[in-house]
Amino acid sequence: MSASAEELLLRYRDRFEGFPDPLFLAFEESLRTLDKNLSQDELISWVESGMSIMQTSLRSWEAAAEYFRASSLMPEGTTWQIYKDLGDLANDLTADSAPLAVAFLKSAPKVVNVPGFSSITDWGILGKSLYKGNWKSSSLAGQFFEASPDLLGILSDEEARRLVEFLDELARHSYELAASCLSTAAEVLGTLEEADRLAYLSFGLKLTQTSWADSRIYFERGAPLIQSVNAPSRDDFLQLATRVAEQNTRAMLSSFESGAAALGQISRDYHRPIVELAHAISLISPVAAMDFISNTPTVLEKIRIEALPSWHESGLNILESSLDGGEAYFRLQSSRGEDVLEKLSARIELTKVGEILRLYAKALTGRDVSVQSTAALTEKGIGWVDEHVASTEGSSIYVPVFMERYSSKEENFAALKVFVTHQAAHLEFGSFDFDLKKPATLFTNLRDELLKEQEGENSGFVTPFERFFDLFQNRQLGSDLYEISEDARIDAAIKREYGGIRKALNQLQGEEVQKRPEISELPLRQAFVENLLRVSLDGLDAVRWPKNKMEVMGQGIGILARLTDENATVEDAAEAALRLYNIALSVPNKKDEDDSEWSQMDPDDEMFSLDSTEMGEGTEQLQSGDEIENDTDYESPEDVDFRGDFKPELVQLLMNLRDDLEMGEGGEFSQDALTEEQLAELLEKSADLDLDALLEGDLETTTGMFLSNLLKEAGTPISEMDIQGNETKSDNSTGEEEGEEPLVPVITTYYYDEWDFRAHDYKPRWCAVQEQALGQGDEDFYEEALLEHSGLVAQTRKQFELMKPELFRKMKKLADGEDIDLDPAIEWMVDVRAGVTPAEKIYWRRNKIERDVAIAFLLDMSASTDEEIAKRERPSSDVDDDPRKYLSWWVSKRRQEMSEPPKRIIDLEKEATVLLITALETIGDEYGIYGFSGYGRDNVEFFVIKDFQEVFGPQIKKRIDQIAPIRSTRMGPAIRHATTKLNETGAKVKILFLLSDGRPQDHGYGRDRTEKEYAIHDTKQALNEAKRDGITPFALTVDRAGHDYLKTMCEDMGYEVVADIESLPYRLPALYRRLTE
Amino acid sequence: MAQNQTNAVVLSAEEFTVSAEPYYRPLGDEIELFEAAYDQRVPVLLKGPTGCGKTRFVEYMSYRLGHQGGSSKKSRSKKTNSNDSQRPLVTVACHEDLTASDLVGRYLLDTDGTHWIDGPLTRAVKAGAICYLDEVVEARKDTTVLIHPLTDYRRLLPIEKLGQVVEAADGFLLVISYNPGYQSALKDLKHSTRQRFISIEFTYPERDLEGEIIAHESGVDLAMALELAKLGEKVRNLKEHGLGEGVSTRLLIYAGRLITKGVSPRRAAQVAVTWSLTDDQEVQRSLEEVVSSIFE
Repeated sequence: MSASAEELLLRYRDRFEGFPDPLFLAFEESLRTLDKNLSQDELISWVESGMSIMQTSLRSWEAAAEYFRASSLMPEGTTWQIYKDLGDLANDLTADSAPLAVAFLKSAPKVVNVPGFSSITDWGILGKSLYKGNWKSSSLAGQFFEASPDLLGILSDEEARRLVEFLDELARHSYELAASCLSTAAEVLGTLEEADRLAYLSFGLKLTQTSWADSRIYFERGAPLIQSVNAPSRDDFLQLATRVAEQNTRAMLSSFESGAAALGQISRDYHRPIVELAHAISLISPVAAMDFISNTPTVLEKIRIEALPSWHESGLNILESSLDGGEAYFRLQSSRGEDVLEKLSARIELTKVGEILRLYAKALTGRDVSVQSTAALTEKGIGWVDEHVASTEGSSIYVPVFMERYSSKEENFAALKVFVTHQAAHLEFGSFDFDLKKPATLFTNLRDELLKEQEGENSGFVTPFERFFDLFQNRQLGSDLYEISEDARIDAAIKREYGGIRKALNQLQGEEVQKRPEISELPLRQAFVENLLRVSLDGLDAVRWPKNKMEVMGQGIGILARLTDENATVEDAAEAALRLYNIALSVPNKKDEDDSEWSQMDPDDEMFSLDSTEMGEGTEQLQSGDEIENDTDYESPEDVDFRGDFKPELVQLLMNLRDDLEMGEGGEFSQDALTEEQLAELLEKSADLDLDALLEGDLETTTGMFLSNLLKEAGTPISEMDIQGNETKSDNSTGEEEGEEPLVPVITTYYYDEWDFRAHDYKPRWCAVQEQALGQGDEDFYEEALLEHSGLVAQTRKQFELMKPELFRKMKKLADGEDIDLDPAIEWMVDVRAGVTPAEKIYWRRNKIERDVAIAFLLDMSASTDEEIAKRERPSSDVDDDPRKYLSWWVSKRRQEMSEPPKRIIDLEKEATVLLITALETIGDEYGIYGFSGYGRDNVEFFVIKDFQEVFGPQIKKRIDQIAPIRSTRMGPAIRHATTKLNETGAKVKILFLLSDGRPQDHGYGRDRTEKEYAIHDTKQALNEAKRDGITPFALTVDRAGHDYLKTMCEDMGYEVVADIESLPYRLPALYRRLTE
Repeated sequence: MAQNQTNAVVLSAEEFTVSAEPYYRPLGDEIELFEAAYDQRVPVLLKGPTGCGKTRFVEYMSYRLGHQGGSSKKSRSKKTNSNDSQRPLVTVACHEDLTASDLVGRYLLDTDGTHWIDGPLTRAVKAGAICYLDEVVEARKDTTVLIHPLTDYRRLLPIEKLGQVVEAADGFLLVISYNPGYQSALKDLKHSTRQRFISIEFTYPERDLEGEIIAHESGVDLAMALELAKLGEKVRNLKEHGLGEGVSTRLLIYAGRLITKGVSPRRAAQVAVTWSLTDDQEVQRSLEEVVSSIFE
């Protein structure tokens, strides 16, 4: 230590009196270090600064100690200015809070060490800005200083400032959240790329300003999300997300998250164009822009990326004319949007064309086939495992669930049609009708001989195919060759019989040939089979074969070529397979060792011309399939997409099992003749079945399960495809037996659109209507109601009887009729005599009048119908004056109420229903009574009290008893469902009678619970739809404030408000008469 | 029949005879059966779907019976003013408003008062014609009152309004047709009516035969006719599964005729078959797929 420093030490020694020793020690040590760097004056100034910190407050000595310690830790070469700044700031901070200063000073040496650190003052001030004079802010600022060495190592000055701004903003709401964010800041920001940090923090700041509670979630989860966006687009994306906040503060975080997640699912190459498209939308509606991004993955499932700009443009056009409409469009909640998607989509979905293809296949085959997705087949667990290829199991045709090979709908549909046609052709041209004994038409029969030879060896067999394939030692090879032969025959038959589909089939065949694997890599026998397959796909020029062995190949192709003949049958395909098998066995299954060149076949080569008819006939005995050593195991060629999984053995088995069940005992092989062992044996050896692929587990249980699946499948009648859009969900697994009333009500779900008046568009399939029969209660209510209103019942009945039309009504004054009507005839005569042109209508005829009325009653079963009817009986005026009389009136009223509880709206609805039923039964109109309630769009409950086709009986009476207030009122979907039901009746006059107590109201039925507009518009639209279908809607309400909304809902429709609710049972039948007369 | 005549020929109902031999390709023994029935004056009921050739068959038989002369020995009709050997044919297409007076006749007014005019059935009875009531179940029930006495041994037609009973002329025979396919339970033929007729059942011909008929009637070559017949066969597979009725031979012939005039086969099948059969868009689409598979 220099002398001057020693002197300083001594000079200030006294000033440390009364402070703990470590303070002085720190000072001393620090002074020693600084002595080398600083001048005398600077040292004094430095010490004074420390003294001033020390004396600031009671505990400020700790800060001073830290000040001295920090000073000594400063890196070498630190300039005086830095020490000075440190001191000034430390003083400053100590004045605010000593612990804050401590935190600052502790980090200072490390911070100064951070490369690129600029100004200690700026940093200090930044940290200090977080301090607001309370301990929480002090702790946050302290935490900031503590974290600073790490943070500043990552962040630029500007970024650091933004972070503090963010923290500051957040701290205004919650110090806890701010502290939590700060604690993870270094880690989180560290994972981000430099370029993104500022934008990330800016977005955080914005988010905090609008919805601070989400900040921490954003801060923790946002980083990986933003990284899923392609780097150059991140900034734009975040800006977009920021603008969303300006429009809709609540959606900010969620839209950011879903948008980023959506982009994460899309190839990064497309991020820029997508964000740019979104930008264009954001100029009108940032929310729609973000929805556009979020929904892009869904949209891209339907359309190709090239079509995205068109989708965007259509939406933008809508957005320009209607904000709500455009937003609904990009939210994918608009029918128009669906239409656009459908138009742009090149994909053909089975659900959309399934019915068309089903009828098509039925027309072709003349059988009751259904067309289903392959997934349905694999799920059955009966041997088919590949979901991507077409197939048939004899009663249904299975094709992939969608087709998107080409860029246009037409091409895709054509391809799907080829798939279906090929499978249908298997049924039409008898692929599964193979008969062992039936002679082939083109080939001489080898089978008979072979069968005789093997007689006894294998007497019991389940299907002809099984027996046939037993002829091949190598079943797999035999089966493959048969399949190729049969497919060749089938495709040839299709081309011959269906000229119109030839082009599409040729194209698909050509493409399949292109997709075949490289042939020269295959062992010879497999190459032989592969070549045959190519030939069967009309790909003769794709055949590659060693030049020196051409003859063998030529023989094979010659045999195959004969199957294109018009008279070829499935037995011919079998014979061909036998011959091909012989040839194939003559080819070793190993790579070609000769150096002969692989070349194409010469189409002019006579070798495989049709003249060589009986080629292969010489080998009358099947060669044994003994594998020659060095041979590779034979592997089947890959499936061809449109031909798919052809399993002749399995299909024949299934068909036989089915026939068998249908024919009962008389069947070809009745149930008891077919043992499980036999089945198991068949399945085990069948080449159709890859049991390993089918199910995992040991073979025995696997086959067992498989067998039961198979038997179950054979026992199930061929099911027609479900009617689109309806699915029956049933929880009961026991009540399926016929005639047994299920214990749990069967709920059928229907989907309906909902009208969004703001967007002027339907929200597609928005509401799920759950239809179920109402539970059954007691019959008593019905009887009691009849008793109570017995007078009215008789009266109503009489009135309705009068309405019954005469069967024949005499129509007069007709131009043509049964006979001359005397009155006009006399007039006619008079006119003629008078020289006036007579009126020509002088005939009469009896016209048959048919009353053809169907009516659907919709009862409001919302909770509000629980309301008691306030009896507006007032005590008569003379009672008013006399308290005693009033009291006695009140007592009698109470007594009456006790014995007879007051009626609720629903009770009157029920009574009115009872009366109406009596009336309707009299007149014989078709009618249905339904109740509706529910909560939310997914759960519109639609209760069947009496369906149109149901006959009135005790169960209906019991159901009426169960009519009770339940939940909300979403009228639109209920009306739509009733409309559907009315349309099904096909009556000439259709009436929809809505009986309700109040306005439509439901969760999510409008912007908020109090908004009326949306619900009313949707209801009105539903009523309009009914009108369009030729239905007369009529609304009857018991809501006293009813006029308000009924006017909007029923502008030009019949409606009535029952002013005095108790007259409802009287009014209802009367109204009905008026409506239908 | 009047295809090659430029001016319409006006005949009264009982004067119409089938003058040129209509083309008829028998599917079975229906010609022999009809001849035997006619000989014995047993009324005939023709059953079969629309457009399978019932009307053509009646025309053909009318011609054939008229030109065989001697085959029906009882043929001694007095009132026919045309060639005695010809057998007049009175055809009435029945509809749901067809009443007994429409068949028997009615009074008309003129300046001098009323005068009676015979209905087609009365004319046929008087002229000894074959009276063919097409789709008879469509008519009102009161028509059965007329049919019954005409179809048993009595062979009488009561004319209530005139207070007359007309005894049928010798050549008279009642033939009715009936399509069991689309008759609802409500409109079924009553048993008391059914059991007065022998029934000859018609179906659409087999593919080859139908091809021959189409080729003859429409003038397309046999190959195209067979394709049309194939279409017919496939479409009929859809009967009662989307289609109430299979496509008739008549429609297939129409398609063939359009093709001879240069309309493309797909288009011809579309207008003559697909659109004629159904209004259901989905079924139309299915049919069009069948068409586009068959025709290039």
